Amino acid sequence: MKRSLTCLSLLLLTFAASAQTVPIEIEAGYRWTDVSGNEQLYRTQIDERSGFLIRTLSFFTATKGFTDHVRVDATDLGAGPASALRIETGKAGTYRLRLGYRSFDTFNALPTFALGQHTFDRNRTMFDADLEIFPDGKITPFVGYSRGRFEGPGTTTYFLGGDEFLLGQDLDETEREIRAGASFNFGKVYGSVTQGWRSLDSDETLSLADPAGNNSGTILGRDIGASTLTRTSSISTDTPFTAAFLTGETARVRMTGSYVRFSAESDGVDDETAAGTFVSFPLSRFFSGVEGNITSRAKNTTSRGSARAEVSITDRLDFLAGYRSEHREMSGTALIDTLFKGTVNFSGLDPRDLREVVATESSLDRDVDVIEAALAARAIGPFSMRLGYSQSKFDFGIDPDLLEIVVPGNQQGTFKRTVDTLDAQASFTKSLYSLGASYRRDEADDAVLRTDYLGRDRLRVRAGYHTPGNMLRLALVAEQSRQDNREDGIGFDADARQYTADIEVSPAPPLRIRTAYTRLRADSTVVIRRPETFALDTSVHREDGDAFEIGFALAIEPLTIDVGASRFENEGTIPYNVDRYRMRLAYDFPKHAGVAAEWSRDDYAENTSLGAFEADRFGIFLRYRP
Amino acid sequence: MSYRSLLIGGVALLLILGASAGSAQECADCHEDQAKAFATNPHAKQVACAVCHGDGAAHIEGGGDTTKISVPRGFAGAETTCLTCHDRITDRRSHRMGAHANSPAVNCLSCHSIHHAEVPAALVRLPQTKLCASCHGTQAASTRNRPHPHRVVACATCHDPHARAGRENLRITAAGETVCVGCHTDKRGPYVFEHGGTALGEADCSSCHEPHGSSNPNQLKRARVAQLCLECHSPLTATTAGSQPPSFHNLNNPRYQNCTTCHVAIHGSNRSPQLLK
Repeated sequence: MKRSLTCLSLLLLTFAASAQTVPIEIEAGYRWTDVSGNEQLYRTQIDERSGFLIRTLSFFTATKGFTDHVRVDATDLGAGPASALRIETGKAGTYRLRLGYRSFDTFNALPTFALGQHTFDRNRTMFDADLEIFPDGKITPFVGYSRGRFEGPGTTTYFLGGDEFLLGQDLDETEREIRAGASFNFGKVYGSVTQGWRSLDSDETLSLADPAGNNSGTILGRDIGASTLTRTSSISTDTPFTAAFLTGETARVRMTGSYVRFSAESDGVDDETAAGTFVSFPLSRFFSGVEGNITSRAKNTTSRGSARAEVSITDRLDFLAGYRSEHREMSGTALIDTLFKGTVNFSGLDPRDLREVVATESSLDRDVDVIEAALAARAIGPFSMRLGYSQSKFDFGIDPDLLEIVVPGNQQGTFKRTVDTLDAQASFTKSLYSLGASYRRDEADDAVLRTDYLGRDRLRVRAGYHTPGNMLRLALVAEQSRQDNREDGIGFDADARQYTADIEVSPAPPLRIRTAYTRLRADSTVVIRRPETFALDTSVHREDGDAFEIGFALAIEPLTIDVGASRFENEGTIPYNVDRYRMRLAYDFPKHAGVAAEWSRDDYAENTSLGAFEADRFGIFLRYRP
Repeated sequence: MSYRSLLIGGVALLLILGASAGSAQECADCHEDQAKAFATNPHAKQVACAVCHGDGAAHIEGGGDTTKISVPRGFAGAETTCLTCHDRITDRRSHRMGAHANSPAVNCLSCHSIHHAEVPAALVRLPQTKLCASCHGTQAASTRNRPHPHRVVACATCHDPHARAGRENLRITAAGETVCVGCHTDKRGPYVFEHGGTALGEADCSSCHEPHGSSNPNQLKRARVAQLCLECHSPLTATTAGSQPPSFHNLNNPRYQNCTTCHVAIHGSNRSPQLLK
């Protein structure tokens, strides 16, 4: 309702403005949806819903007085799932004001993910305002404000006392950012300095949705279950930040340096209570309830600096040398106070309460140093080339307590990794033909994570051709990437290939026919150890997909027809088919108005009973351009 | 009053204030439509026709002789017109050494059209879904065909088309963080207990997620969560980070095929070293 009123207000204002002959274009109407099958899967993947929709709004006018122009651009305001509105106004040489509003519906409810128990239905709204004083002048002070809110219900799970329980979740996060600074431009020297402050307040409330828990069996002869379970969590994070860059130019040399630093500090408070029948193996006890309180503090200070020089050896031959360094320090402390109520040992003796107080600290240092050099030749005849080399050195230091996701071990220490990268790009453009290729080779001396490569190659090739007047346009893209770490005990090998061919034909100017084919193939293997047996196994992931698309657009005034269909079949680890159909008929009435009818359909089918939906969307839109 | 109401009020005020005037352009006698449209162009305030097209006197005297007027095209057109004003470098942007450095293969006018832009805000020739796809076909196909695409964002939400090559073509937040946490604020932290995949990986979020689109739930890189986790959490060598899950994690049980059913705080936690809450 609120969204419809927003759209209606904008629509009425648009007509009010257009009555005064202002350049404006608007398309608005109503969309209906008809979904069968798993609607939650449809909402997770597409989420277009019934409702009023301003598909596009574009408005510009020159003005007199306090502003000399106003520009408004909006897309998909209303039924969403993603809406955006942008306004720019100002007066040349005096000020420039930009306002932005975005709204995203985020929905996720997948039947096969986390037993279907992790879901959310939330909305994120983001608002930005930026004001520049004396824009395009020698010194331009600016201030900006951003506000974002992420809120809505969801469901999650919580592991407690030998079982995990389905919880209802309510999340409300608000982020605010204020920034101020100045950019300056003295011709050969220019740059910018920004100082900002950001705060995030996050409140989460969790309550028991299903007392049974996921484990239907018993533990040591007892049914595990919860009668009540509530948790509240509040986190506030403050992040001051500084960002600056400075560039100086001479006729042949351009040098730029930058510095960014932020220091994020979060404070959290959690309270939880639960009652039921639970078990704790670390305590060797059953217990009938828990009361917990957690206070925490975490800090992340990150700074990054860079310096680069670009040298124009000739007008079309440039050389780059640069250095970049990043340092990140993360540390955290938490005091976890938990009272286990009515504990009983496994022999059924000594009923009493036990208090466990854990004070924990963690820290991590991460240093990244990168040196780079590149040579670029632009437009040497029909050729352009770029050759680059970089060396990245990673240095991680981790203290105990950090990363102890399951059990201690392989969680702390010092890890170092150096990656040498060679990349080359070349393109050839002559008349109606173009050919481009890029190749990148990364070599590392060690792996920090098991899926880190020791060697990686990536090759991309593109070819294009079009006839004069674009009667025929042909584009081919091939991409292959291969990475591996064949050390004993890792055996990581991943290969991904994707090819696309895109052909567009226009036998007569009003008609354009387009067809595309995509082939996707990916294989990845890495040795793993199964937890339940400690036996070695191989994790295999595979994608084997083909997509075929075809469509045409016919524009014979006042009628425009745009039709398309596609099919994607994947025979990989998750086999599925996606069929998509689109049709749009638009008819322009004389001069300023038009009407458009749209239909789109998505058929999605996995090889599980829950993994399928068919979704039709119909829309009628009116277009107006005075 | 919500900021949505403020926005509506602001738009109303600007529409009413703004609907009062137009502007005149040189060359409009013949190029009436272009001149009319140019009044709404971002260049209109500071750039006269002659800045890009040269002196039009001979063209006018020649009765509109097209050989006597300059029309910027391709690499040379961009070099001698666009870049005379727009060639500014920063630590992250460059028009000569960047990923889309001005060249015959890709140049300003490959993507921007001063007089025929379908997306007027930045004078972009076509909507991003079509424009970027004309070269980056494989990435566009991932976004278009996969069942779990990165919805509600356009290419330029995350990528800066004028950026330097490599990972620096990804935008960063005002504070200098990875672009992902600009929207996914709930994953930003800092946390007392960081997850190694995000803290140690070279690629941060993309250690586990496919950013353009994926066949797998939640845009993960693997079909099953346990598969993704165990690829790091199998410490068969002493030199890599990642602990071994204990033996009661029986992968034959559906509960343990979904690690995040218990380890819900997989992006980081302030409360649980095991990322359980």
